Amino acid sequence: MLLLQVLVNGILLGGLYGIMAIGMSLIWGVMNIVNIAHGPLIMLGAYVTFWTFTLWGWDPFLSLPVTILSLFVYGYLLQRFILNLIVRAQLFLTLLITFGVEVVMVNLARIFWSSDLRQVTPSYAAANFAVGGLTIPYVRLWVFVTTVVVSVIFLLLMERTRLGRAIRATAEELRAARLTGIPVGHIYAVTYGLGAALAGAAGAMWGMLFPITPIMGGALTLKSFVVAVLGGLGTMMGAIVGGLVLGLAESFSSTYIGPTYPNAISFGLLVLILIFRPTGVLGRGEGR
Amino acid sequence: MSIKRWARLLGGLAVVLFLGAAPGIVSAFMVQFLINLFMMAILAESWNIIGGFTGYASFGNVAFFGIGAYTTGVLLTRVGFPFALALPAGGAVAMLFAAAVGFPILRLKGHYFAIATLGTAEMMREVVYNLEFTGAGTGLVMPILRTPLTFFYLMLAILAAVTLVNWWLSQSRFGYGLVAIREDEDAAAVMGINTPLYKTVAFALSGAFAGLAGGVYAYWITFIDPDAVFKVIITVQLIIMAVFGGTGTVLGPLLGALVLSAVSELLATQLATLAELFYGLIIILVVLFMPKGLSDLIRQGGLSLRYFARNLREYRI
Amino acid sequence: MAILQARRVTKLFGGLAAVSLVSFDLREGEILGLIGPNGSGKTTLVNVITGTLPYSDGDVLFRGGSIRGLPPYEIGRLGLSRTFQIVKPFRNLTVLQNVMVGALFGARGGARELGSARRQAGEVLEFVGLAHRAHAPAEGLNVPERKRMELARALAMRPTILFLDEVMAGLNRAEIDEAVELIKRIRDRGITLVVIEHVMKAIRNVSDRIMVLFHGEKLTEGLPEEVLNNPQVVSAYLGRRYAEQAHA
Repeated sequence: MLLLQVLVNGILLGGLYGIMAIGMSLIWGVMNIVNIAHGPLIMLGAYVTFWTFTLWGWDPFLSLPVTILSLFVYGYLLQRFILNLIVRAQLFLTLLITFGVEVVMVNLARIFWSSDLRQVTPSYAAANFAVGGLTIPYVRLWVFVTTVVVSVIFLLLMERTRLGRAIRATAEELRAARLTGIPVGHIYAVTYGLGAALAGAAGAMWGMLFPITPIMGGALTLKSFVVAVLGGLGTMMGAIVGGLVLGLAESFSSTYIGPTYPNAISFGLLVLILIFRPTGVLGRGEGR
Repeated sequence: MSIKRWARLLGGLAVVLFLGAAPGIVSAFMVQFLINLFMMAILAESWNIIGGFTGYASFGNVAFFGIGAYTTGVLLTRVGFPFALALPAGGAVAMLFAAAVGFPILRLKGHYFAIATLGTAEMMREVVYNLEFTGAGTGLVMPILRTPLTFFYLMLAILAAVTLVNWWLSQSRFGYGLVAIREDEDAAAVMGINTPLYKTVAFALSGAFAGLAGGVYAYWITFIDPDAVFKVIITVQLIIMAVFGGTGTVLGPLLGALVLSAVSELLATQLATLAELFYGLIIILVVLFMPKGLSDLIRQGGLSLRYFARNLREYRI
Repeated sequence: MAILQARRVTKLFGGLAAVSLVSFDLREGEILGLIGPNGSGKTTLVNVITGTLPYSDGDVLFRGGSIRGLPPYEIGRLGLSRTFQIVKPFRNLTVLQNVMVGALFGARGGARELGSARRQAGEVLEFVGLAHRAHAPAEGLNVPERKRMELARALAMRPTILFLDEVMAGLNRAEIDEAVELIKRIRDRGITLVVIEHVMKAIRNVSDRIMVLFHGEKLTEGLPEEVLNNPQVVSAYLGRRYAEQAHA
């Protein structure tokens, strides 16, 4: 029974990791930018949800569209007016600038919202339901359902719409895309906006399960990176698979080994994967 | 060696001697500031070996700093070594760690290398946090040394050494090999450069000096914990100092450390958080407007709007 | 005297055989032309021999000793140098510094200190006719100059065997003639050459023998006149009109 519980916990957590990573994978795949500011975007989403809940009493699931939209706008502007300026620079510089954005965002959050731990606690926060010996908190279940819905919507967007096609075209061949009249600066900005929106959604969900602080993003950026690499870069499906792998790994290790090791495990996993199979479980071959 | 080179070396020596006389002239507070400045400069210059000359931008050099700090700390407190042994041991362990980790990790390129190094630093923090004999989360407390000048001269000496190494790289066959690796690793390999060896040595050197700085830091600050010595912001600071001054140059990282430390110190007197925010903004501005650093700025004729505008346009979509 | 012997060299990419069972002997002091359509495996063959790509099968002997599996820097040190089809300049260095790298690290480990490397590099630049650009940044060179620098770099390594990969691509007629002369002068210095080219006139002028690759396999080898008139070669690569023009 414990095994099943651990399994279920891992899957529920994995779904959340998956959606956290999709945004990073998207930005990386399309623009070859590893977004170190990814964690802070998640953090921002969590805070937006927290403040709308605390100030106006909005239910966190219902405020999700607002969170998503505001993060999209923020991401769009950030890319359009700052990141687009260095997008063709060497990898090191793009990495460095997103680092700078991360530092700025975290410290602004510290200044404006203080380092106090926050949490979003709707009335149903503590409620569980039991099925066959398993205890499943309602919130976790709804978070999982939401992540599935958001993922599906996102995948449909990328596969079935003109915008999605434009994004994929730009990702594959920037110059050709430009020549066919695609406004690449705008597309890049939309891409980052989408990545930010997904991160924001992940943050909204995260905030219901874990404490919110300005520095929560650091570990999450790394985890998203692990998931993206695990599942294989550039594949959305891969992010979901990778998320499940990480979720299960953490769930098992924290139950059977010890709760203070999950981070070391995911980082260790990352380094191992990078060395032995950099294309990931489903990947399409980047790496060396 | 040519006259010009002798002149440069002597000039450097003069600066070192001048700085060495500083404690007699400036205030105690200034001495502390200088110790911190020297430390950041050591970290920036040591990063320059692997990041600037070799072109492998490590985002995890703080790991070596922390390992040096903890090795020295553990040897001082748990094992009872004298500092004269504990410090070199700190540097040595950091160097060996860099070599060992470098062997697999230096095979990665670009983003993967950078994130792998970042992950390594984070992992070290976790490991140290979980181990009993490193004091776990509570940290280690060092015995107190009542001569702050010791730290001043130690840091100065290490800084002189690492800058000398950088200078040597710019003048030596080994350094040429590193630069070739940076410029085009495949071409460097077919031209006869043992790329895996060279990269690992550069990484190890980088780790050694960062480790030494960490060892001195531990004793100086008398208390270390995992969060303090494995802080990601330290990596960020040392990289931006090197970039600001000019990666791949001998004095660039040192200059960058000097300027940025001074400005951040001015700000820190206002508000502690402001210093970090400052670094974040500086990174964004430097990457946008002067990614090639001060040395390039000076070489292209100094402060001019046109220089900045050109850099702004160079990498845009 | 065969200085290099290739035995059934094979390189597979997944299911595709880019190079398949290629065997040949390279005689000391000769210039071997290597021709074939695009994608026939010429560059891949050179990549495998010089250690940039791993073998799928086969072996290569240099002076009787196997060099299969050696890392590229070992092979460079043994005395095998190559240029790249798409040149790989060290952009942030000057021309002289680029060539110095070759002098510092080439055959038998190269020069040990910068002074003599600088001198050697200077000599090589004189030899290839690029001395006037010694202190120019590598980035600012035009196409023929870049090709020359690539060649100079490989020469500075003091190779025994030099593999040239399409050094004449992008050159005009006068430049091609100069290149042919340069290649001959390199051979006069005692270096054995393998020259990959598409410019038929040049290949015919410069080669002692020619080897033809087609779809990764060796089609034929022999004296230029024989090979270039071989009907299989004509139909696979040269085209009938070339053959007719050559005869006319």
